[in-house]
Amino acid sequence: MATATATTVNVKLSRSNRIYRSSEPVEGKIVIKSATSISHQAIRLSVNGSVNLQVRGGSAGVIESFYGVIKPIQIVKKTVEVKSSGKIPPGTTEIPFSLNLREPGESIVEKFYETFHGTNINIQYLLTADIPRGYLHKPLSATMEFIIESSRVDLPERPIPPDLVIFYITQDTQRHPLLPEIKTGGFRVTGKLATQCSLQDPLSGELTVEASSVPITSIDIHLLRVESIIVGERIVTETSLIQSTQIADGDVCRNLTLPIYVLLPRLLMCPSVFAGPFSVEFKVCITISFKSKLAKAQPKSDPTAPRLWMALERLPLELVRTKRDQFSC
Amino acid sequence: MELEFRRRDYGATQKSQFLPRSQALKHPLSSTLASRQQQAKTVRGSDLDFFDPLRGLDVNASAEEKVRDTSISIEAVTQDLIKEWKSLKRVLMQRFPVSKVISFSPISNIITKRSKVEAPSALSHSEETGSEQTSLEEPAKIINQQEYIAKVHELREGINCAWQAEDRVKSLKLSIKVTKLLMDTTVLQFYPTVFVIVTDMLDMLGDMVWERIKQKSELDVDGTVICSLLNDFQSSDICLEARETCYNWFCKVGSVRELLPRIYLELAILPCWRFLINQPMEVLDRLVMMVRGLADPLASLYCRLYMVHRMQKFGFCNSGILIKCIKDIEDVLAPVLVDKEGYSYITDDKKLLFSLMEPAIEYIVKCLFLTGRQENNVLGMLEEFGFGRNKFQSSCNSLHVSILLHHLLKELPSELVISLATEILDMIKCTNDCSFSQVLNYRLLGNKLSEGKSQEGFLSSLIDEVIQAASQYQSLYDYLRIMDAYVDLMLQNKMENHLDALLDDIVNLARDKFLSEEEQASLQSIILKLLAHFENLQEVLPLNHFIEILDLMSGTSKSSVNMHLLNMGTRSGCICDSTTVQFLFEVSQALYDATDFVNIKDDDNRQTSHLISRFVEMVDYGAEMERHLMFLAECREAFNGIHELKETLVRSSNTLAVKALKAGKKHTNFVKSCLAFSEVTVPSISSPTKHLNLYLETAEVALLGGLISHSDGLVMSAVEYLENVALTDGLKSIDVDSMASVVCKFCSVLVMIPGNPEKGVMEILKSIFSATCSSSWATPRLKVKIFCAIMSLLSTLSQDNLPYHSANPEIIGNDLLFFGDSSYKQGLVSCTQLVLSVLLDAIEQESSQIARGNMALEACNCISSALVMNEKVTELCLRLLETAKDCLGANDRYIESTKKSLQL
Repeated sequence: MATATATTVNVKLSRSNRIYRSSEPVEGKIVIKSATSISHQAIRLSVNGSVNLQVRGGSAGVIESFYGVIKPIQIVKKTVEVKSSGKIPPGTTEIPFSLNLREPGESIVEKFYETFHGTNINIQYLLTADIPRGYLHKPLSATMEFIIESSRVDLPERPIPPDLVIFYITQDTQRHPLLPEIKTGGFRVTGKLATQCSLQDPLSGELTVEASSVPITSIDIHLLRVESIIVGERIVTETSLIQSTQIADGDVCRNLTLPIYVLLPRLLMCPSVFAGPFSVEFKVCITISFKSKLAKAQPKSDPTAPRLWMALERLPLELVRTKRDQFSC
Repeated sequence: MELEFRRRDYGATQKSQFLPRSQALKHPLSSTLASRQQQAKTVRGSDLDFFDPLRGLDVNASAEEKVRDTSISIEAVTQDLIKEWKSLKRVLMQRFPVSKVISFSPISNIITKRSKVEAPSALSHSEETGSEQTSLEEPAKIINQQEYIAKVHELREGINCAWQAEDRVKSLKLSIKVTKLLMDTTVLQFYPTVFVIVTDMLDMLGDMVWERIKQKSELDVDGTVICSLLNDFQSSDICLEARETCYNWFCKVGSVRELLPRIYLELAILPCWRFLINQPMEVLDRLVMMVRGLADPLASLYCRLYMVHRMQKFGFCNSGILIKCIKDIEDVLAPVLVDKEGYSYITDDKKLLFSLMEPAIEYIVKCLFLTGRQENNVLGMLEEFGFGRNKFQSSCNSLHVSILLHHLLKELPSELVISLATEILDMIKCTNDCSFSQVLNYRLLGNKLSEGKSQEGFLSSLIDEVIQAASQYQSLYDYLRIMDAYVDLMLQNKMENHLDALLDDIVNLARDKFLSEEEQASLQSIILKLLAHFENLQEVLPLNHFIEILDLMSGTSKSSVNMHLLNMGTRSGCICDSTTVQFLFEVSQALYDATDFVNIKDDDNRQTSHLISRFVEMVDYGAEMERHLMFLAECREAFNGIHELKETLVRSSNTLAVKALKAGKKHTNFVKSCLAFSEVTVPSISSPTKHLNLYLETAEVALLGGLISHSDGLVMSAVEYLENVALTDGLKSIDVDSMASVVCKFCSVLVMIPGNPEKGVMEILKSIFSATCSSSWATPRLKVKIFCAIMSLLSTLSQDNLPYHSANPEIIGNDLLFFGDSSYKQGLVSCTQLVLSVLLDAIEQESSQIARGNMALEACNCISSALVMNEKVTELCLRLLETAKDCLGANDRYIESTKKSLQL
């Protein structure tokens, strides 16, 4: 047993950032460290890409009935043999591999969606190495996630110039009730935002406080993801917060342009997807918080929820994968 | 065997010892005087050429040309800035001392409450388990400032440790927490200190990140060097892996929700943008704009300060960014300056706020000018602030905040100030807010104008405008402070009319008013400038209302001005003009009245008394000698407390007497009054040696005037005083050497004074001797010296021809008076015996061996030169030599030479 526990298997990928495109072979090596020699049956490597959907909590109300019902969507599943049965000598052994996700001419059922880790939707690609050792020994195995980004060839050019959406936020654009002093005093915040945005680029735009009678305490840009799943005949949609970025701290000067600049967090965001059974979309929510005693008394909760002392503006955000820019590889 | 004096032929000795003399063409000291003047001139000349790295403008070159000439290399600028930054940090830490105890709002709870990772052992469990969120009811934590700083340093150490342990995520997390401390501006005075500590930490973090990414691009996975980056590398030289890491850092920093720490952290790793892009101009622009999101004036200003520092440090700066930055500062300050109703008023809080802001603004403006000079674009830069345009345009774009205008003006080279003077003046007029005193801006303009050469033409109208602006201030103090800066300009450019107007104004404003201390100080500064400009007093006194203005002053300012007046009056030769004498006398009197001479004895008093004495010494009434003596008497009465002056008075009156004597016989009565004045004045002098000296001096003068009874009287007074010194011993002030020299002088004066046969010829000598013997103040060394002097005197008096006589031919010397009188010579011999009898004892009393030896030799030499060497004298000398040998050893050179001269 001592030897068995001392043996380790690892899958090491050729790229440290583990990002691959579906047209590229996934390369790397299986690293086995063992004190003794190991006899094994054929060593296999399998790749498994799938969209996992689940519904929990939230808007539907009758959650229990849906829970666990949805079957994962298979994107890719294949197994190759990297080494036929034999013996591994003691010490460190490396077995290189190269695995094509998609053979030329091979037709696949699903698109290679980009890796995405959301609340209800998970798009994940796993690489698993299996070393079966007959019935007497436990098989050894190791799993490693790799990340899929869209293929180079079918990507659009980066949108130049990006489409800027002009927005203005006043007491009259608010669909929720405001404190009377805010409502009567009035305020006006204008700006523009690029609502189509490349994943490699920061979300950019600008914002100007033109007027506000009640002092402002904070202006924040919230990134939201909207995951929708078709369950039976219903669509279950959940909106969740990814990241908040403050762009104004305190009652800023009027008529000074503030930049909106948000670097998009990796893995938590992916190109907007509209597949049959599910969709992943993104939104930007701009919140303006006004000075109010109520705000202090309120415990922290969802910062994008409409409040009496807050003005909101939600804008859709379309994320696209463009040709590589200079930052990433 | 009888003692016998050596015969002397003084005339022959003088002839044989006389040194050959030759005529000199030049006074040996006169040339140095001339060269010193020259030197002074060059020093003053070079003053104008003084190269200040921040201004550095030649007087002759036109402004723009010069700006081009002095443009400097980036390295030099960077070096300068590193120094500037260091000194700024010191200033920030020192200028704003903090009260010991600080209460913190919940935002700083990284300090009062720390999470487990930092220092688990030091924390109590309740704190560990407490949630990050602080409820409103929780009172603000109270913490000591030192504790606060110590904790930040501890955290910094934690960041460093985590980094060394490859735990960079933790390092970053801690850094974010520390940076968040800057969000708290509740304790204003403490903010600069926190800023310095936190930015130090950020600089450190930035360096570590930079090094790590650089290493990643230079080394491969195994740590072998694959390439080495040049200083001016391109982003394309960087391998993908390193760029990935770098971008990752920006993502991590960018994910911080709060604006302030996000900006600071990006600034910390700002140089790393170079790994990704070659010209991070867009980044800089964005950062400048991002800071606008910080509404707190202090926090945003310090954030800009750090931004400018980081940009400068890595050569990213350009004047465009800095100009934007300064304009933003102006926008942020606007609401602070003016409240909602449109009033601008100053409160203590605002005062504190602006004082905290000032160093930061100063640094940023300094950077702006450095950058502008580097880019050869100072003028263009100024245009951005509304300079050099016509008036219609400038009103919309120029600076409106006076603290900014002040620091901008401070950095402007004086040549530019001169060429833009009228516009600057207009600008100062427009910016009247509470951030900085407008008065000081007017002053700064004046000082800057004084630095350079300017044409009188435009100055005249400019100063007119300034005077007008200044007189709009209701307070005299403000008026004085402003005009103070323009006095030099008026003087340099000979603008008498303006000067007259200024003095008029001062009198009008200050009339019938009690001037406050500040007003006095400003007035003092103005008057001192006037005094410094003019060569002598005669030019100053006729100035418009000058005396009247002097009368306005009081207290220390008045004294200071008076000192300068006195100094000026006594600067050049003697003072003959009676009005000047009267004026200076009054000045001296005021000075004297303002000083407590009785109780306080310090350097300041010494200077005052020295000046007054000097003045009295300098006064010269010429032929009106009686008037002069009266003046001296007046002075004695007026300045009774100044000891130093009494000596001057006696000397002056003696000089006066000598002058009268030289003028002819008819003045005998006047000479007598002078002597009487001196004789009366001397007793009030406390220093014994001075006292004696002056008696002797006066006695000599009396002798010169042929007034033997006077001189006798003075000598007797001197002897009595010597005896009294003996009585009032314990006087510590007696300095042995000067006492010895006074008594020696006494002896030499006695050579000239004819003996009084009625009282006994030796009476005076014997009195000196007995006073010395019986005194306790005389140390053995002093005694031996005096005894030797007496012995020499006795030997001299025994000669047929005295070495010198009184200059008055009517006075007959002892040589003639007692020629051939054997009892006189007998008296001299017996006196000598008396001296010899105590001399040896006195030597034995000396405790120091070396001193004793030397004294023995001294006495031996004296004896051998005074007396003929007969058996008795030889024996005495041998005994003395023996003593010397015991004390000094046989091989002493003094003993050798003494032996040789004794021919033993």
